[in-house]
Amino acid sequence: MSIAENARENSFVLLHIGDRRVALPAGLVAELAPPVRLHAFPHTSKLITGVIVRRGRIVPVYDAGLVLGSRSSSSSHRFYLIARRQIGQVSELGAIAVNGECELATGEMQPPAMDRPAYVAGTLAVGEDSLDVLNLDGLTGSYSAAAGESLHAEAHQFHGSEASR
Amino acid sequence: MKSTGEQDAKSRRARGPQTVVLFFVANQMFAIAADYVQEIRSTDSLAGAANEIENPELAKVRHTLERGHRTYYVVNAGMHFGLPVTRPALVLILRQFRAALLVDRIDRMAEISGVYPLPLAFAGDERRWYRGLAYLDDSVIPVVEPTGFLTPEEFQRLDRASALAASQREPEAAVQA
Repeated sequence: MSIAENARENSFVLLHIGDRRVALPAGLVAELAPPVRLHAFPHTSKLITGVIVRRGRIVPVYDAGLVLGSRSSSSSHRFYLIARRQIGQVSELGAIAVNGECELATGEMQPPAMDRPAYVAGTLAVGEDSLDVLNLDGLTGSYSAAAGESLHAEAHQFHGSEASR
Repeated sequence: MKSTGEQDAKSRRARGPQTVVLFFVANQMFAIAADYVQEIRSTDSLAGAANEIENPELAKVRHTLERGHRTYYVVNAGMHFGLPVTRPALVLILRQFRAALLVDRIDRMAEISGVYPLPLAFAGDERRWYRGLAYLDDSVIPVVEPTGFLTPEEFQRLDRASALAASQREPEAAVQA
């Protein structure tokens, strides 16, 4: 592995999604785009908020805050971080609304703990913090699982309240 | 360097210019290829020609239209797309498909340079609803897929219910005669 490749592999973009600070491998990041217009239309893919148009491409926007459990108002979105995501055999660009400053950091990613969700590819030590490194491909699956658990919990609560009557 | 997948996605983008009808449902703009639209009528003008389905098989289909000895099923576009309830004023009667579409209003006809494929991140019913997306006047507009309004199974259910309702009406008509 060349020095350049090694440096690229150990480079991460640190970003804020809502009130969470996470990292993304820099090699996946295509662009940090200004807050261009979000186009929304009816659909049933819950994690998607709409699409943006960048450089002649239509890019889906993921609401990563839904998965990370960190909500923020759309007015606080300052940028769209556009990254590559692998869907089956196809690589597709996807955008995440981020707020706050984005920084570049280098370091060695450590494997995630066993109980970490699928959207965590590993952890990165930055100063005294340990940040989750996002696995974009795991976001959708994590949302489905989280939504399933939430429904299960709601159903459990419902049955509990029904039983207590 | 771009991956093969990305290059494929970009090459699939445009299928050439085409004329579309832009219409609104619950303040959301959609496009449909003009070739797929046979006729546009006001709901008022169809008041006498439409038959209400007494026990709707599908909530989004409550009326039928008889056109050229064929039964067209009238789909409420708002309910189909899960949009807020509105009062549709127009019916788009489709060509090639026995379906008509209740919409709020027509905006205009326009020429689009092509249809972008729906990003793969969209993995739900919208893959059946839309042929893709169009970029027109700084807006991204979903281009509807006419076959997506009713699946073959839904057509079969509606046809069975329609035949049953017709057979029930015949004895009633004979008694009245």
